[in-house]
Amino acid sequence: MVAKVTKKNNKTSYTNENEGEEGYVKVSLVNQSVFIRKKKSCPLRDISIAEINYKNLRLLNKFLSERGKIIPSRITNVAVKKQKALANAIKRARHLALISPINKEVISN
Amino acid sequence: MALYETVFIARQDLTAEDVDALANKLAKIVTDGNGKIVSREYWGLRNLAYKVKKNARGHYVLFNIDSEYSAVAELNRVIGFNEDIIRSLTFAVESHSEESELFVSANAKEFKAGKVTVKKEPSKIDLVLDQVQFES
Repeated sequence: MVAKVTKKNNKTSYTNENEGEEGYVKVSLVNQSVFIRKKKSCPLRDISIAEINYKNLRLLNKFLSERGKIIPSRITNVAVKKQKALANAIKRARHLALISPINKEVISN
Repeated sequence: MALYETVFIARQDLTAEDVDALANKLAKIVTDGNGKIVSREYWGLRNLAYKVKKNARGHYVLFNIDSEYSAVAELNRVIGFNEDIIRSLTFAVESHSEESELFVSANAKEFKAGKVTVKKEPSKIDLVLDQVQFES
Protein backbone atom coordinates (compact mmCIF):
# COMPACT_ATOMS: atom_id res chain seq x y z
CA MET A 1 0.00 0.00 0.00
CA VAL A 2 2.76 2.43 0.87
CA ALA A 3 4.25 3.14 -2.50
CA LYS A 4 6.13 6.29 -1.84
CA VAL A 5 7.31 7.36 1.56
CA THR A 6 8.94 10.70 1.96
CA LYS A 7 10.46 11.52 5.28
CA LYS A 8 10.43 15.13 6.11
CA ASN A 9 11.96 17.09 8.89
CA ASN A 10 9.74 19.55 10.61
CA LYS A 11 11.88 22.37 9.32
CA THR A 12 11.70 21.53 5.66
CA SER A 13 8.01 20.68 5.66
CA TYR A 14 7.15 24.29 6.31
CA THR A 15 8.98 25.55 3.29
CA ASN A 16 8.29 22.64 0.98
CA GLU A 17 4.59 21.81 1.09
CA ASN A 18 3.46 19.24 -1.47
CA GLU A 19 -0.04 18.67 -0.18
CA GLY A 20 -1.62 19.33 -3.55
CA GLU A 21 0.39 16.58 -5.25
CA GLU A 22 -1.98 14.38 -7.21
CA GLY A 23 -2.65 10.82 -6.13
CA TYR A 24 -1.01 11.18 -2.75
CA VAL A 25 -2.38 11.75 0.72
CA LYS A 26 -0.33 13.44 3.37
CA VAL A 27 -0.34 11.63 6.68
CA SER A 28 1.17 13.42 9.63
CA LEU A 29 2.96 11.34 12.21
CA VAL A 30 4.63 12.48 15.37
CA ASN A 31 7.89 13.69 13.96
CA GLN A 32 7.50 13.28 10.23
CA SER A 33 4.96 13.47 7.48
CA VAL A 34 4.45 10.57 5.12
CA PHE A 35 2.92 10.50 1.63
CA ILE A 36 0.80 7.47 0.89
CA ARG A 37 -0.42 6.69 -2.64
CA LYS A 38 -4.20 6.66 -2.95
CA LYS A 39 -5.82 3.58 -4.41
CA LYS A 40 -6.79 4.40 -8.00
CA SER A 41 -10.43 3.73 -8.87
CA CYS A 42 -11.82 2.09 -12.00
CA PRO A 43 -11.78 4.45 -15.02
CA LEU A 44 -15.03 2.86 -16.26
CA ARG A 45 -16.98 3.41 -13.03
CA ASP A 46 -19.53 5.63 -14.84
CA ILE A 47 -20.04 3.20 -17.71
CA SER A 48 -22.38 0.24 -17.30
CA ILE A 49 -21.37 -3.26 -18.37
CA ALA A 50 -24.10 -3.23 -21.05
CA GLU A 51 -22.38 -0.26 -22.68
CA ILE A 52 -19.11 -2.16 -23.00
CA ASN A 53 -19.93 -3.98 -26.24
CA TYR A 54 -18.10 -4.83 -29.44
CA LYS A 55 -19.74 -1.98 -31.36
CA ASN A 56 -18.20 0.73 -29.26
CA LEU A 57 -14.89 0.87 -31.07
CA ARG A 58 -13.62 4.09 -29.52
CA LEU A 59 -14.03 2.57 -26.05
CA LEU A 60 -12.23 -0.63 -27.01
CA ASN A 61 -9.43 1.28 -28.72
CA LYS A 62 -8.63 3.03 -25.47
CA PHE A 63 -7.71 -0.29 -23.86
CA LEU A 64 -5.45 -1.63 -26.60
CA SER A 65 -1.69 -1.35 -26.71
CA GLU A 66 0.14 -0.07 -29.80
CA ARG A 67 0.37 -3.66 -31.00
CA GLY A 68 -3.34 -4.33 -30.53
CA LYS A 69 -2.99 -6.29 -27.32
CA ILE A 70 -5.43 -5.91 -24.45
CA ILE A 71 -3.85 -3.82 -21.70
CA PRO A 72 -3.97 -5.71 -18.37
CA SER A 73 -6.18 -4.32 -15.61
CA ARG A 74 -3.07 -4.28 -13.42
CA ILE A 75 -2.12 -1.17 -15.40
CA THR A 76 -5.52 0.32 -16.23
CA ASN A 77 -7.24 -0.44 -12.88
CA VAL A 78 -10.45 -1.55 -14.59
CA ALA A 79 -12.75 -3.51 -12.26
CA VAL A 80 -12.67 -7.29 -12.71
CA LYS A 81 -16.17 -7.70 -14.18
CA LYS A 82 -15.68 -4.82 -16.58
CA GLN A 83 -12.26 -6.07 -17.66
CA LYS A 84 -13.87 -9.41 -18.50
CA ALA A 85 -16.62 -7.68 -20.50
CA LEU A 86 -13.99 -5.54 -22.22
CA ALA A 87 -11.88 -8.57 -23.16
CA ASN A 88 -14.91 -10.39 -24.58
CA ALA A 89 -15.97 -7.31 -26.55
CA ILE A 90 -12.48 -6.90 -28.02
CA LYS A 91 -12.39 -10.55 -29.08
CA ARG A 92 -15.78 -10.24 -30.78
CA ALA A 93 -14.70 -7.09 -32.60
CA ARG A 94 -11.53 -8.84 -33.78
CA HIS A 95 -13.52 -11.78 -35.10
CA LEU A 96 -15.75 -9.43 -37.11
CA ALA A 97 -12.70 -7.58 -38.52
CA LEU A 98 -13.77 -4.37 -36.82
CA ILE A 99 -10.42 -4.00 -35.07
CA SER A 100 -7.09 -5.36 -36.18
CA PRO A 101 -5.44 -8.04 -34.03
CA ILE A 102 -1.97 -6.65 -34.69
CA ASN A 103 -2.17 -2.89 -34.37
CA LYS A 104 -4.20 -0.22 -32.73
CA GLU A 105 -5.67 1.74 -35.61
CA VAL A 106 -9.46 1.72 -35.73
CA ILE A 107 -10.96 1.46 -39.17
CA SER A 108 -13.76 3.88 -39.85
CA ASN A 109 -15.46 4.67 -43.11
CA MET B 1 -38.15 -17.14 -26.23
CA ALA B 2 -34.64 -15.83 -25.93
CA LEU B 3 -32.84 -12.83 -27.35
CA TYR B 4 -30.04 -13.23 -29.85
CA GLU B 5 -27.86 -10.98 -31.91
CA THR B 6 -26.50 -12.04 -35.30
CA VAL B 7 -23.99 -10.14 -37.40
CA PHE B 8 -22.81 -11.30 -40.77
CA ILE B 9 -20.45 -9.87 -43.36
CA ALA B 10 -21.42 -10.27 -47.02
CA ARG B 11 -18.96 -10.32 -49.91
CA GLN B 12 -17.73 -6.99 -51.25
CA ASP B 13 -18.92 -7.45 -54.87
CA LEU B 14 -22.58 -7.85 -53.93
CA THR B 15 -24.83 -4.93 -54.84
CA ALA B 16 -27.16 -3.29 -52.37
CA GLU B 17 -30.11 -5.22 -53.88
CA ASP B 18 -28.25 -8.51 -53.45
CA VAL B 19 -27.52 -7.73 -49.81
CA ASP B 20 -31.15 -6.86 -49.14
CA ALA B 21 -32.33 -10.02 -50.88
CA LEU B 22 -29.86 -12.10 -48.87
CA ALA B 23 -30.90 -10.45 -45.61
CA ASN B 24 -34.59 -10.97 -46.41
CA LYS B 25 -33.94 -14.63 -47.19
CA LEU B 26 -32.19 -15.12 -43.85
CA ALA B 27 -34.82 -13.16 -41.96
CA LYS B 28 -37.48 -15.45 -43.43
CA ILE B 29 -35.76 -18.48 -41.88
CA VAL B 30 -36.21 -16.96 -38.44
CA THR B 31 -39.83 -15.91 -39.00
CA ASP B 32 -40.66 -19.36 -40.41
CA GLY B 33 -39.34 -20.86 -37.18
CA ASN B 34 -41.86 -18.77 -35.17
CA GLY B 35 -39.18 -16.24 -34.30
CA LYS B 36 -39.23 -12.50 -34.62
CA ILE B 37 -36.71 -10.06 -36.09
CA VAL B 38 -36.86 -7.21 -33.61
CA SER B 39 -34.73 -4.87 -35.67
CA ARG B 40 -32.28 -4.83 -38.54
CA GLU B 41 -29.20 -2.72 -39.00
CA TYR B 42 -27.01 -2.17 -42.03
CA TRP B 43 -23.55 -0.82 -41.30
CA GLY B 44 -22.56 -0.06 -44.87
CA LEU B 45 -19.71 -1.32 -47.00
CA ARG B 46 -16.94 -1.08 -44.44
CA ASN B 47 -13.22 -1.62 -44.76
CA LEU B 48 -12.21 -4.81 -42.98
CA ALA B 49 -9.36 -4.64 -40.49
CA TYR B 50 -7.77 -7.59 -42.28
CA LYS B 51 -8.55 -9.56 -45.41
CA VAL B 52 -11.22 -12.22 -44.98
CA LYS B 53 -11.47 -14.78 -47.81
CA LYS B 54 -9.68 -12.32 -50.14
CA ASN B 55 -12.15 -9.54 -49.38
CA ALA B 56 -10.86 -6.15 -48.25
CA ARG B 57 -14.32 -4.71 -47.66
CA GLY B 58 -17.65 -6.15 -46.65
CA HIS B 59 -21.34 -5.38 -46.14
CA TYR B 60 -22.20 -5.64 -42.46
CA VAL B 61 -25.74 -6.64 -41.50
CA LEU B 62 -27.02 -7.08 -37.95
CA PHE B 63 -30.21 -8.82 -36.81
CA ASN B 64 -31.72 -8.44 -33.36
CA ILE B 65 -33.65 -11.67 -32.92
CA ASP B 66 -36.29 -12.79 -30.42
CA SER B 67 -36.76 -16.49 -31.01
CA GLU B 68 -36.34 -20.06 -29.84
CA TYR B 69 -32.90 -21.54 -30.26
CA SER B 70 -34.02 -23.95 -33.02
CA ALA B 71 -34.67 -21.11 -35.48
CA VAL B 72 -31.32 -19.50 -34.68
CA ALA B 73 -29.53 -22.82 -35.11
CA GLU B 74 -31.16 -23.22 -38.53
CA LEU B 75 -30.11 -19.66 -39.43
CA ASN B 76 -26.53 -20.43 -38.45
CA ARG B 77 -26.54 -23.63 -40.47
CA VAL B 78 -27.69 -21.80 -43.62
CA ILE B 79 -25.18 -19.01 -43.07
CA GLY B 80 -22.45 -21.64 -42.95
CA PHE B 81 -23.42 -22.93 -46.40
CA ASN B 82 -23.80 -19.55 -48.05
CA GLU B 83 -20.75 -18.54 -50.04
CA ASP B 84 -21.74 -14.88 -50.17
CA ILE B 85 -21.23 -14.63 -46.42
CA ILE B 86 -17.59 -14.41 -45.40
CA ARG B 87 -17.93 -14.10 -41.63
CA SER B 88 -20.69 -14.30 -39.06
CA LEU B 89 -21.22 -14.11 -35.32
CA THR B 90 -24.25 -15.13 -33.26
CA PHE B 91 -24.66 -14.91 -29.54
CA ALA B 92 -27.32 -14.61 -26.84
CA VAL B 93 -27.88 -11.26 -25.17
CA GLU B 94 -29.78 -10.21 -22.10
CA SER B 95 -31.27 -7.18 -23.82
CA HIS B 96 -31.01 -5.73 -27.29
CA SER B 97 -28.83 -2.66 -27.49
CA GLU B 98 -29.98 0.52 -29.16
CA GLU B 99 -28.67 1.76 -32.46
CA SER B 100 -24.93 1.75 -32.27
CA GLU B 101 -22.61 4.35 -33.71
CA LEU B 102 -21.88 1.93 -36.57
CA PHE B 103 -25.52 2.08 -37.69
CA VAL B 104 -26.03 3.59 -41.12
CA SER B 105 -29.49 2.54 -42.35
CA ALA B 106 -32.08 -0.18 -41.92
CA ASN B 107 -31.64 -1.59 -45.42
CA ALA B 108 -28.73 -1.64 -47.83
CA LYS B 109 -30.90 0.07 -50.46
CA GLU B 110 -31.25 3.21 -48.38
CA PHE B 111 -27.52 3.42 -47.92
CA LYS B 112 -25.74 6.04 -50.01
CA ALA B 113 -21.99 5.88 -50.28
CA GLY B 114 -20.22 8.97 -49.08
CA LYS B 115 -23.21 10.03 -47.02
CA VAL B 116 -21.83 11.96 -44.10
CA THR B 117 -23.32 10.73 -40.86
CA VAL B 118 -24.48 13.55 -38.66
CA LYS B 119 -22.11 13.96 -35.77
CA LYS B 120 -24.05 13.83 -32.56
CA GLU B 121 -23.18 15.56 -29.36
CA PRO B 122 -20.32 13.79 -27.58
CA SER B 123 -21.91 10.96 -25.65
CA LYS B 124 -21.43 10.17 -21.98
CA ILE B 125 -18.91 7.50 -22.90
CA ASP B 126 -16.79 9.96 -24.88
CA LEU B 127 -16.69 12.37 -21.97
CA VAL B 128 -15.51 9.58 -19.66
CA LEU B 129 -12.96 8.37 -22.19
CA ASP B 130 -11.40 11.80 -22.50
CA GLN B 131 -10.41 11.58 -18.87
CA VAL B 132 -9.04 8.04 -18.99
CA GLN B 133 -5.29 8.09 -18.80
CA PHE B 134 -2.79 5.56 -17.61
CA GLU B 135 0.90 4.95 -18.01
CA SER B 136 1.50 2.13 -20.45
